[in-house]
Amino acid sequence: MVALSSTFRRLRRRTAAGAGHRVPEQRSHPVPDDEATPVDIAPNDPLLAYLQSASGAVDVEALELDSPALAELKAAGVKLAVPLVSQGELIGVLHLGPRRSEQEYSSDDRKLLDNLAAQAAPALRVGQLVRQQQAEARTRQRFEQELEVARLIQQNFLPKTLPELSGWQVAACYQPAREVGGDFYDVIPLAGGQVGFVIGDVTDKGVPAALVMAATRSVLRASAQRLIDPGAVLERVNEHLCPDMPAKMFVTCLYGVLDPATGHFRFANAGHDLPYVKTAEGSVELRARGMPLGLMTGMKYEERETLLAPGESLLLHSDGIVEAHDPQGQMFGFPRLKELVARYPGGGELIDLVLADLHAHTGPDAEQEDDITMVVLQREPAQSDSPNGKVIGKLLVEFEVPSVEGNERMALERVAATVVPLGLAPARLRRLETAVAEATMNAMEHGNSYRADRPVTVRVYAEPGRIRVEVADLGGARLAPGQAEVPDLEAKLAGLQRPRGWGLFLIKNMVDEARETGDGERHTVELVMHLEPESKEGGDDDDT
Amino acid sequence: MAEATATFDVRRKGTAGVVDIQGDVTAGSEEVLMNAYESTGDITAVILNFTGLSYMNSGGIGLLVTLLVRARRRSQRLLAYGLSEHYRQIFELTRLDEAIGIHDTEQDALAATGAA
Repeated sequence: MVALSSTFRRLRRRTAAGAGHRVPEQRSHPVPDDEATPVDIAPNDPLLAYLQSASGAVDVEALELDSPALAELKAAGVKLAVPLVSQGELIGVLHLGPRRSEQEYSSDDRKLLDNLAAQAAPALRVGQLVRQQQAEARTRQRFEQELEVARLIQQNFLPKTLPELSGWQVAACYQPAREVGGDFYDVIPLAGGQVGFVIGDVTDKGVPAALVMAATRSVLRASAQRLIDPGAVLERVNEHLCPDMPAKMFVTCLYGVLDPATGHFRFANAGHDLPYVKTAEGSVELRARGMPLGLMTGMKYEERETLLAPGESLLLHSDGIVEAHDPQGQMFGFPRLKELVARYPGGGELIDLVLADLHAHTGPDAEQEDDITMVVLQREPAQSDSPNGKVIGKLLVEFEVPSVEGNERMALERVAATVVPLGLAPARLRRLETAVAEATMNAMEHGNSYRADRPVTVRVYAEPGRIRVEVADLGGARLAPGQAEVPDLEAKLAGLQRPRGWGLFLIKNMVDEARETGDGERHTVELVMHLEPESKEGGDDDDT
Repeated sequence: MAEATATFDVRRKGTAGVVDIQGDVTAGSEEVLMNAYESTGDITAVILNFTGLSYMNSGGIGLLVTLLVRARRRSQRLLAYGLSEHYRQIFELTRLDEAIGIHDTEQDALAATGAA
């Protein structure tokens, strides 16, 4: 003789009938034994309002309401409905079928039932609350388990070890947020000693992001082995991901292939944050156009290449860094990260530097908002580089000099100012200056006929252990007239050679290497000066 | 015509003429240098004072060759002092140091001419 319900939506009915009890003929859905089919009472059924306000047991047969539930109760043979009300809230209904004696319920019976209901209702309410809390605990537990699964997937698919590349230092950092994001990175050994580097970020968090990340990584790994070109690899990955990508999800990803022997880094970018390279001149962004993966098919990915010179560092990073907020709500931002990379002195860990500055920004107690991922490729400085690491190959300066007499001094002074920080000994600097001046004079005179509108182009490169200067004119492939002969003082004094004609002779003797090249349009003299003198020069370099 | 970028002041020291060079010696200095040389008059030695030299290019070296040719024609000795190490090396490289007596100071140069 029990009936209860836990929600308004599904109020269950139990008849009081025991074994052998006659099932009412009007029952619409016969059930075996005591079990009766539950009667649903819709939230807007007038029976609910009636029971809520009823003062005690309700005679179902006598009740007249336009109520589908009431009709169903009557059809099921329910005689009495006893509302269970706790703190003014209807939390259940006790349904009773006919008495076994087949007599009507007496007023004593009804009093007994009312008393029972008054005591059962609070107990039932407590039971309901306990169940509710248990359900919430289970939900929380499921959420935590889901986070744990996401973390496991994520971490399982991150590289366990990083490659050891001769002349390179490879470092990586992955710090998941509490609610795991979709960051990932990968390092893929390729044919010919090349190495593929991946950094990516899946929109969304948790298990869905982790699964997409795992799929992206697998497809990328497979494609990278078959296709070498980074642009083609991303194109293939995009085609694979598009059909099965869940709505509103996509993947940003940068993929680059490093040739450790040469330092060449070819890369393509599917909408990921731009990497930074720490060069002699500061930090440089590596740009390549491309849409994120998984948005639409038929995408092309621009492929670019850069040379990572000795001493340079490449930072791949995820948006968890630049989008981290300080307590005032200010984002860390790209400019700060770029500036940080520019200030990086080399040697130590760039990752540590970034993390320290990031923590200074967010404050010590801040919860990490998003995953933080970094991969750093650092090319070790060449042996012959200056010990302070200032020399790291790259174009230091490029400028033009109008072909006007005397302008070689302009070139000389600009080159000198550019290379002074590289630590070239003063005497060798003077020799380089002379060579640059002579080469510029030749270029202005013989290449550009001293026409101011035909400038000489000067480029200065810092290369491992040396400085290289290019002086180019518009004279095509040629030798400066009269300079093919080796100047000889005796011959000049004897009038056999003209007094002038010392330019090329000086150039060749002032620097460690001098070359002339021409491509039909431009004629270029290349001057190379080693930072450390070759042994034959002995103590000639202590001049000031 | 190239502009003069240096001044050449002449001092008479006994039978020698000392030419104080100030500035850049380039091909553009030819007229000024030769005028200075001609103004030394009847001397047995020309002493070039390079202490005020800031820059000399191959054109300037060519100029010294021309001066050397003229001086030899007149049987005059050519001497120099005050050269920086860099330009000393260039004199050695071009073998100008074999034709021009290189000295550290004016006194040394004068002593070498016997004109002091």
